[in-house]
Amino acid sequence: MRLMRTSDISQRPVVTYAGEDVAQIKDLVYAADGGSIIGFTLAGRGLFAGPLKVGLSWASVAALGSDAVMIADEDAFASTKEVLDRSPGAGTHGNVIGSQVLTEDGVGLGTVHDVVVSVDGTGGGQCDVVGYEIVASEQMSTQGEKVLIPLPDTIAASGQHLMVPASVKDFVGHDLAGFGAAIDQFRAQLRSTES
Amino acid sequence: MKFSEAKGHKVVAQNTAETVGRVRSFLVDPRSRSVVALRLKKTDQGDVLRWRDLAAFGADAVTISDSAAITDLDSELETMRGKRGRLLKKRVLTSGGDELGEVSDIEFDPETGKLITILLHEGTSVPADRLVGVGSYAVVVHEA
Repeated sequence: MRLMRTSDISQRPVVTYAGEDVAQIKDLVYAADGGSIIGFTLAGRGLFAGPLKVGLSWASVAALGSDAVMIADEDAFASTKEVLDRSPGAGTHGNVIGSQVLTEDGVGLGTVHDVVVSVDGTGGGQCDVVGYEIVASEQMSTQGEKVLIPLPDTIAASGQHLMVPASVKDFVGHDLAGFGAAIDQFRAQLRSTES
Repeated sequence: MKFSEAKGHKVVAQNTAETVGRVRSFLVDPRSRSVVALRLKKTDQGDVLRWRDLAAFGADAVTISDSAAITDLDSELETMRGKRGRLLKKRVLTSGGDELGEVSDIEFDPETGKLITILLHEGTSVPADRLVGVGSYAVVVHEA
């Protein structure tokens, strides 16, 4: 499992196994519940290239690496509409950047600066939204700094606010390297309090 | 032998003992992971020498039985030439989408033309049997 900031994924080249850069990532398409990435819209390569009419669904992605999105060949492309239709209500509007993160007991932790996803290295897995990078509010000891907070499997989002359990505060991370463990501990803790 | 060592090798015809050209570059077929032809310079006719037409790829010279073996590009070789088919100085991406570095040299078997090792500027190397594809953007190799 590998963690990535979604801001790092956009503009990454889409490369075939034959070594051709056939497109680049324009936007990420989120599932309706915002909990995973179901695909990408694409742009052409080069400074002046515009958006493409085709997109890429997550199922057709061979691998998402640090430097490129790999596909077997251009048959992986589908019309952008097809990509969006895979999940009713899906869209690039899953955009939560700038939303306020509120705990269930009404404390504002900060505003979303970036979205963190986890990617299964082997492919076939999901591209799950597992955390946010937020600019910490005055409620946090790290006010003004960017910190990482883990997310439960599902969260309530309104476009204005994102509701997270209060215990999120105990699992704040500062870099992606150690954040995977924080997510696991946080989710394990949620499961133990539920049962 | 490395591409860097083999480049500039004389091509000598066995029947006349004359130098009929010099090795300029290598055309590599990523599917067979081997050199399928040489591009030559300073020839009288054509600039392509297919690997199967070589008599030997020796330490000091490439020999061919007859200079008539030197021909022109055909459509199959066309896809392996130029920026698109070149390996040297190209970025190397794994099938997992991670960049390993840039190709500095290629080690190949002078007996068969098979590629052995892809050497990177970063000082690392990738066994050539991991080669997947060569395109205008990258050389793609299987993940380790």
